[in-house]
Amino acid sequence: MNKTAPHESAAAREKQFRDALADHVRQGERDLAIQYARMLLAAAPGGGTDRFIRKLAQGGEAARLNLRPYRVALLSSFSIEFLHDALIAQGVANGLGITVYQGGFGTFRQEILDPASGLYAFRPDLAVLAVEGEDWLAEAYGRYSSADPNLQAHPARFKDELASLLGQFRAHSQAPLLVHDFAPPAYEPLGIADGASPQGQAGLLKGLNQAMAEVGAGLADTHVLRYAALVSRVGGEQWYDPRMKLYAGFPLTQAAARHLSREYLKYARALLGLSRKCLVLDLDNTLWGGVVGEDGIDGIKIGPQYPGNAFMAFQHSIQALRARGVILGLASKNNPQDVDEVFANHPHMVLRRGDFAAAEIHWEPKSESLRRIAETLNIGLEHIVFADDNPAECEHIRLLLPMVTVIQLPPRPENYVQALYEEGWFDTLSLSAEDAQRAALYAQRAQAETLRGSSADLEGFYRDLDMVLTFAPVHEKNLPRVAQLTVKTNQFNATTRRYTEAEVARRMADPAWVLAAVSVADRFGDNGLVGVMMARREGEALAIDTFLLSCRVIGRAVETAMLARLCAAAASMGATSLLGVIVPTPKNEPARDLFKRHGFTHEATDEAGADTWRLDLETSPIPYPAWFKLAD
Amino acid sequence: MSQNLEQSIKRVMADILNIPEDSIDEDTSSDNTEGWDSGNHIQLVIALEGEFSVSFDVDELEAMQSYPDILEMVQAKL
Repeated sequence: MNKTAPHESAAAREKQFRDALADHVRQGERDLAIQYARMLLAAAPGGGTDRFIRKLAQGGEAARLNLRPYRVALLSSFSIEFLHDALIAQGVANGLGITVYQGGFGTFRQEILDPASGLYAFRPDLAVLAVEGEDWLAEAYGRYSSADPNLQAHPARFKDELASLLGQFRAHSQAPLLVHDFAPPAYEPLGIADGASPQGQAGLLKGLNQAMAEVGAGLADTHVLRYAALVSRVGGEQWYDPRMKLYAGFPLTQAAARHLSREYLKYARALLGLSRKCLVLDLDNTLWGGVVGEDGIDGIKIGPQYPGNAFMAFQHSIQALRARGVILGLASKNNPQDVDEVFANHPHMVLRRGDFAAAEIHWEPKSESLRRIAETLNIGLEHIVFADDNPAECEHIRLLLPMVTVIQLPPRPENYVQALYEEGWFDTLSLSAEDAQRAALYAQRAQAETLRGSSADLEGFYRDLDMVLTFAPVHEKNLPRVAQLTVKTNQFNATTRRYTEAEVARRMADPAWVLAAVSVADRFGDNGLVGVMMARREGEALAIDTFLLSCRVIGRAVETAMLARLCAAAASMGATSLLGVIVPTPKNEPARDLFKRHGFTHEATDEAGADTWRLDLETSPIPYPAWFKLAD
Repeated sequence: MSQNLEQSIKRVMADILNIPEDSIDEDTSSDNTEGWDSGNHIQLVIALEGEFSVSFDVDELEAMQSYPDILEMVQAKL
């Protein structure tokens, strides 16, 4: 379709992006300038682009961009100044105005040990110790020998030296510190026997990297950058330039300099709290190949054959992000029924509808969709990454919501995973158990809301939830939670009587009392112990003393099932009626009509305003609602 | 193409050496250009390699000490 020769159109695009970037810098349009810096870096990676952006960022008009100042100290065993352009350019693409401090060539030890060094005077926001393994310990690289009598002692000695050096750094500076681990050499002198040899070089390097990890773990704000993994991703032959290493003291290629800068920026973002939190995805030609509205559920491409397997791989990579706490959203122009059908019935979909905490599936502009998603999830637009295959949609978002990070997916689906992962937009310094739960929690909450809105009637909504109720006696294990609920529950609480564990425990031992702990699970997860009932036999009646439900599950008729349970318990004790009391408080509005709407008759109001209600068990017992499954 | 090539080389040189593009001519060499020192020379070589997807060995890059040298060397590689 496009008749222009590829190199000409690429050149035209580069020029267009350069002009747009320069223009936005001039206008002081920060977010747009950042967007165009990103696009330029992606469209025309290379030293020319890096220098262009650097000159703009350091030019007179750059002050209006309000880039966030960020000071990076580079300590290296090589001429790392060849990396500055790439680092500064990528800083702009991240909204950072990077100033670099360059330690003297190969003087990283002196810089760290001397409290009066330029390093400390610079007061860096981030310090990087970029030392090639060969420069640190030649005996493990160029001077490696399997006959070296000290071979086994190197890791321990290295560990001591590193710990002492980094300890010195920590004593003089609070700055977060990145330390490169060691990459393997291109060739091992033992050749293919290296791996199997106890004297092997690979084993030695593993020991050194292990020692480094241990030192890093023992020091505050010290992070080991997985340099070996980075080199392996790019490929050692693409990474190193032996000619420039020996001739100019700079062992890396320009491509390597860009990859390394990108890695530094991942840490900078994580340290500055700029990690993205939410990934919003398109559907057609993004999660599957083809257009579901046209091709139908049987025509879209997702499955074990190419290109379906590329889309499956992409979905798996998204699932992995979700598992570490990235919140997922959908923004798609589609008929909701078509989409629901794919999620519900396509056998090869990896992601489920319930994995998405927010979904905007309609024909309105996607900028609106993203705004609503941000609002629903209560997160800032600057924390959202939007991924779409359609360049027009990407451009629409860049222009209308320039604070959103846009991933324009490449033309072929086999490259989607790389496009999603390469910048590490969601990377954080560490992962907690809460991170892993977060995406599920958001999705669970949002899904219940969505269902409520979409179900044709209330009963349909209840049925869709697949709720399972468990009534358990109160025992030692759930006692703390039961007592806690009496103290914490304010809204759906008939009497708001607070009890200590000891008080509840006394009732457990008293046969006149019926105590029950109520748990609710639904298709989105287990809500845990959410309800408590306590009732006491009084003559012919069973009198409800405590009836409460956590606000998490209000509005699902759980209370009806709870009353049905009490009816059954009362009948089995030989009681003929159920007595309920409502003690009004400023907060328990949701519980006020509990007895009235379940057919109880009003008996009395006392001087404090508490109402007593009675239900005749012979004439009007309460049945369990049909949509609950009972676990016991 | 050759017009284009000359322009592209001049653009890279101007960029790296911080001199105006139109000041570069047959006489421009490391001897008479302030800022064309050994450090910048490496930057220049790396930039040219990136721009034209070529590679120079050490003998070649050391021989590229003027605009005509560079033009000839790049042309020979393309």
